Amino acid sequence: MSIAEVRHLGKKYPSFELQDVSFDIKAGRITGFIGRNGAGKTTTIKSMLNLVHPDSGEIRYFGEPLSANEKQIKKRIGYSTGTVSWFPGKKIRDIVDTVHRFYDTWDSEAYRKYLDYFELDENKTPSQLSEGMKVKFNLLLALSHKAEMLILDEPTSGLDPFSRNELLDVFTALKDEGTAVFFSTHIISDIEKCADDIVYISKGRIAAALPREEFIGRFSLAGESLEETMLRMERGDHHA
Amino acid sequence: MRDILRKEIRLSASPLAFAFIPFGLMFLIPGYPILCSAFFVTLGLFQSFQYAREANDVTFSALLPIAKSDVVKGRYLFVCFIEACAFAVMGAASVIRMTVLADAPVYRANALMNANLFALGAALVIFGLFNLIFVGGFFRTARKIGRPFIAYIVIAFLTLSAAEAMHHIRGLENLNAFGTEHFGLQLIMLCAGLAVFSLLTLISCWKACYDFERVDL
Repeated sequence: MSIAEVRHLGKKYPSFELQDVSFDIKAGRITGFIGRNGAGKTTTIKSMLNLVHPDSGEIRYFGEPLSANEKQIKKRIGYSTGTVSWFPGKKIRDIVDTVHRFYDTWDSEAYRKYLDYFELDENKTPSQLSEGMKVKFNLLLALSHKAEMLILDEPTSGLDPFSRNELLDVFTALKDEGTAVFFSTHIISDIEKCADDIVYISKGRIAAALPREEFIGRFSLAGESLEETMLRMERGDHHA
Repeated sequence: MRDILRKEIRLSASPLAFAFIPFGLMFLIPGYPILCSAFFVTLGLFQSFQYAREANDVTFSALLPIAKSDVVKGRYLFVCFIEACAFAVMGAASVIRMTVLADAPVYRANALMNANLFALGAALVIFGLFNLIFVGGFFRTARKIGRPFIAYIVIAFLTLSAAEAMHHIRGLENLNAFGTEHFGLQLIMLCAGLAVFSLLTLISCWKACYDFERVDL
């Protein structure tokens, strides 16, 4: 079942254009959104969160259009990025105390559970956290209001291999609990490790949006790794 | 809106926005252009906008489960809250000057504007201009604060100078009333200031909601 549908998304900038971007995100699955730097991943994700206004196309969550149901939909999804630090000088405790009031679905037990799981100290400020811990803090906020779907923009970017591995394990655990995880990355091994579905964007267009096995079956040459397949596709050779 | 105001105060606001509220007491300084106190209050608010921008506040707020226009309204609410606090301080200082210190020689010899209801109305006009030019200008991009603040400074100081000069014009001397002299006129000027403030703020907020809806964050 599709939990989110992106249809014919288009956005034109002076030096870049997102063209006819369409894909589905399914409930209880991990979808890896891959593409090189500047391919259009962040623009797509920002459009999915109504931070950027697409010139064309439609985004629906839970069967409802985002444009007409923004408030309700945002209560059911969570967003995180590995590169932005919110309120760097404020204590985590104070940020959480303010944010939780916006969610009637806020679950204090889940908050405590993930606080311990991520080994976060409430008395620290985001500026005192490592990049990996910042991602975990953002995840903590998303998970504590029982988000049914997580949208994560480059969550593994800048993480060391150990933290990256740990984070990907968290995604798998969340999937097992029924949460849909949609994460963008330019690191192909992240996709290999945990993604069920692959959405591959290149030069502002969706080159493929398929379950991982189908993607490999359709595009990979015999004995070729996913990384080699994508590097070849990025050079313009899409034929297996 | 209560939760949004709470977020503005606890997370987005710079301590300087609160620290500049007591500058309303500058209404007690004799021989000083007292409307500068209104400008200092807006200077604290400007610092707060800068602080919030560095904390990625606007994007954070836009991701909360609220309408995008509520992000704008929350910020206006905070700005008006600080302005109201400062206005209360200015009001208290003016009441002191209009009553117990009404005949103090140091104020009687004051060549500049007296702290009276007209001065309070003029302070409200300065606040209204800040809301219109700076706050409204900020939400056109949700990033750039320099240009709208410079535009506000120019207009605010022209307005401030005009307000200071008015009572020197023949026929307008009563604007500089001492104590409760010409109370009817003074009250009208305060109400006019309040009306200008309300109008400028409402127009600015409405326009900012429209502009911010179209901003790509």
